[in-house]
Amino acid sequence: MTIRRVLILAPTVLILFLIQSYLWVPTYEEQTRGNPDRLNEYITASIGDASILNPILSADSASSDIQSLVFEGLIDRDEELRFRGRLATSWEIYEEAFFYVNEGASIPGVGKAEGEDVVALLWRAKTGDLPTNPELKASLGNIREISVGPARNFLVTRYEKKNEEDKETEEVRVRVSAPARIKLVLDAVDQDLFQNLSHILGKDYFSSFNGQGYLAVDDERWQEKRAKYAEEILPATEHNPIVVFHLRPGVKFHDGPVFDAHDVKFTFEAIMNPKNLSPRIADYEPVKRVEVVDPLTVSIVYKRLYSPALGTWAMGILPEHLLNDEALKKEAIRLGKNPEKFSMRQSRFNRHPIGCGPFVFREWKSDQYIILDRFYDYWEGPPNYKRYVYRIVPDLLTQEMEFYAGTIDSYNVQPHQVERLRDDPRYQNFSGPSFGYTYIGYNMRRELFNDPRVRRALSMAIDVDKIIDYVLYSQGERITGPFVKQTDYYNHSVKHVPYDPPAALRVLEEAGWRRNKEGWLEKDGKRFQFTLITNSGNDLRKAVLAIAQDAWKQIGIDVRTDLLEWSVFIQERVDKADFDALILGWVMGIEPDLYQIWHSSQTHPHQLNFVAFNNSEADDLIIKIRQEYDHERQVAYCHRLHEIIAHEQPYTFLYVAKWTAILDKRIVIKETDRQGKIMYKKIKPTKTGNFAFYFNKWIKLPEAPGFAAEG
Amino acid sequence: MLSFIGRSIIQKTITLFFVSIVSFLIIHLAPGKPSQVDPLNPKFTPEIVERFRKEFHLDKPIYVQYVYFYRDLFTGKTVSWKDNQSVLGKIWERFLNSLPLFIVGTIITWTLSFPIGIRSAIFRGGLYDRSATFFSYLLISVPGFFFAYVLIIFVVTHFHVPVIGLKTFGIGDASWLRMIMDRVWHLLLPSVLGATGGIAILSRYVRSQMLEVEGQDYVRTARAKGVPEEQVHYKHALRNALLPFVTMFGLILPGLIGGSVIIESIFSWPGMGRMAYEAILARDYPIILTVNFVSAVLVLAGTFVSDLLYLVVDPRIRL
Repeated sequence: MTIRRVLILAPTVLILFLIQSYLWVPTYEEQTRGNPDRLNEYITASIGDASILNPILSADSASSDIQSLVFEGLIDRDEELRFRGRLATSWEIYEEAFFYVNEGASIPGVGKAEGEDVVALLWRAKTGDLPTNPELKASLGNIREISVGPARNFLVTRYEKKNEEDKETEEVRVRVSAPARIKLVLDAVDQDLFQNLSHILGKDYFSSFNGQGYLAVDDERWQEKRAKYAEEILPATEHNPIVVFHLRPGVKFHDGPVFDAHDVKFTFEAIMNPKNLSPRIADYEPVKRVEVVDPLTVSIVYKRLYSPALGTWAMGILPEHLLNDEALKKEAIRLGKNPEKFSMRQSRFNRHPIGCGPFVFREWKSDQYIILDRFYDYWEGPPNYKRYVYRIVPDLLTQEMEFYAGTIDSYNVQPHQVERLRDDPRYQNFSGPSFGYTYIGYNMRRELFNDPRVRRALSMAIDVDKIIDYVLYSQGERITGPFVKQTDYYNHSVKHVPYDPPAALRVLEEAGWRRNKEGWLEKDGKRFQFTLITNSGNDLRKAVLAIAQDAWKQIGIDVRTDLLEWSVFIQERVDKADFDALILGWVMGIEPDLYQIWHSSQTHPHQLNFVAFNNSEADDLIIKIRQEYDHERQVAYCHRLHEIIAHEQPYTFLYVAKWTAILDKRIVIKETDRQGKIMYKKIKPTKTGNFAFYFNKWIKLPEAPGFAAEG
Repeated sequence: MLSFIGRSIIQKTITLFFVSIVSFLIIHLAPGKPSQVDPLNPKFTPEIVERFRKEFHLDKPIYVQYVYFYRDLFTGKTVSWKDNQSVLGKIWERFLNSLPLFIVGTIITWTLSFPIGIRSAIFRGGLYDRSATFFSYLLISVPGFFFAYVLIIFVVTHFHVPVIGLKTFGIGDASWLRMIMDRVWHLLLPSVLGATGGIAILSRYVRSQMLEVEGQDYVRTARAKGVPEEQVHYKHALRNALLPFVTMFGLILPGLIGGSVIIESIFSWPGMGRMAYEAILARDYPIILTVNFVSAVLVLAGTFVSDLLYLVVDPRIRL
């Protein structure tokens, strides 16, 4: 019967055909043996795909992984997390400070003074003719030049909304007749300059300067804005820190042209161009202007003191010749789009980037892979790997399986996965603390939590060591404060809150909380009761949630818990500050700028200080830290701030998780010395926990080399 | 006939219109915002968020956004918010990737279900039938991702070969035959896994259809007349049992665009389902809405096709 035969034969043949394909697929060992080229390829896996390969437009980690290889910044961080030159060979920082001559103010011992008189007075002070204190002396010694700019008249145009809802704006003309202005050139940035100078010029010399008197608004209706305009147009004092970068000569972009100062200026302008919608615009907002001094020197003038700004120059530099207005216009015409509306966001460059980093972009297949080839003309010498492949594998377990199958060389390995391979002789593994921490935050707007003793007691009741051991498989470290643990800013002398439930109960008793008959803590007849929330989908946080609930229950606190979907959690609870306590984590940058998370001005809805931490000394230090350019002093401020926050315990600082990595043992560092002798070294993480720091020197060997025992 | 087609098309267009409104509303009312206007990324100042909202027309009233979106869709100008790529181009690329998975999966489902179901029906109540029933329910009730993991772990740890993605990475310059076979191998696991649920359900259908037809008078007549047993099963019974399945062909159509989110994610297969899923996570409205719209079109077209097929194959039905 034919029908019967067909019905049985068809599936059999199909299945046999599919299964025989197994015989053609290379195994783990065959991949390297049968195909020597595989040794020159490094394949890594990522959960998510890149979105846009343009360093000024992207904001996701996958894109920045690729950009860090294709593009190069002016500077980056070395093994010790200090800045080191990349496209810049060196840089210096100095300052220009300005203040308006306050004609109305009376200077002690001089009286009312014109610009020239003030300059003369400052010179006298500098040469030691006037009595000074040590701080003032330091400030004066730092001054290189003093000059006076003449009084001048000019016109400023502002645009104001007619009323709140109205989108149309109206032109407001402001006539300014600015008084003479003193310019000071300083050898080093000095945030206390004006405070110190007021010892000579009089306490109120700067604060009593009245800018409003020097400007006139023609239109009657906008008179009330005068105070605001005065502040903007005629600030009494102004700090202009200046960074001068000396650029590396002869560095080439992947397509040939040589990199120079114009590319730096172009990159800055592209970020600031509102058409491009760059998410990095806030980082560069403090920049006043970028000046090209000569093709290999670029100077960046800042509007105000903002030391974290230096780190922003690690940003990849764009090639001007491919993205300037002219090039974009040509591209728009070629693609048949409207050149007026065509911006960098639409350019094909974003899917085919060209920079001057160690790897050249080759191919990108969405949700599959991104392939990079090494750049032979890389200024530091080409990397050892010929090719870098970034595969997108959205599932953690399949990443592990691909690793076993040999089709990826490294992946986002989880602590429990490392545990499985720890003793396998084929692999080497690494781990180190990451940049960020997990915490329990208390909403200090709620009466329950506005006593630091209560917050401390809550911290004391949680056994963080156990969390690290059992939830994180020991892949974590304790943390006591808000700074990145590997940096100098972190204060190691701050002791972590001890795990001691009886002591916690004693502290709570001091604060008025006593156990009632049923064992619950009570104060004025009210039970100690609150809800602890976190987002769903994060198993670690969920585990911490249960542990904290249990630990607090042990000392008589009635804790409810709730898991919320991420967007609901953020929008309905965090942004609106509608929570008692929550578990969350911060991913930190290296810069010690804590303004957004800890300053008391940032407690409004949608801002990041959602626990409403408010401490005037901390506020002061936060401002000082972001204005200080001297590393030592910055570190001292940070240590003090760390102490305050640890003492106040607005968060229970839990742990910083460790990143983990696993590699085939055959991957080593290959170096060639001057005589051309090749040396192999074992890969070791740097002090700050970056194992891929020397990635450009990595290579995979056919056999794992034996290394001498390490001392 | 013609009037049926005309009526059907008008009805379906109206349905489509309502689907487009409802899906648009659902997406906009769902919590969460597009990742470009995600307020927890400290890099995004309120000004930038505002500018993005403007760029995406999110500051406009919702009916204006609706008009803008469908105007762009029909003129082919919609772009993804994530990477500014043309949405239709992206969908087409992903569609081509999902297609082999879909074809092989469908072939496996349909070729395997019939022999299994028919045999179950012929030997009704026997050991084979019972175990087939047992396994069908097992396959229906165990989640697909679980099978996928078990199978992947088994294959990788025992055979040491890669199974994820479209092809082996770093295979280098192998012969074309080897490359093709490598791709076939990578198709095998995901399509088999995608087909398991289908086999389980479809073979049950085949079995019940066969049993129903075998109970009919004409089958008894055929037996009485002394037609060999095999011919009774495969000629008289099977042909009539096939009728309802013809209509199912039409209903496969939407599966073309839906893809399989779970299987595609686990096997990192760059297909439609995964793209839609990731678009939902990032609240990439243009992609979500376009996929939604296209699949609505396909569902309606599918029911239309199956209606027509029924007309063609079953002479008893006249409209």
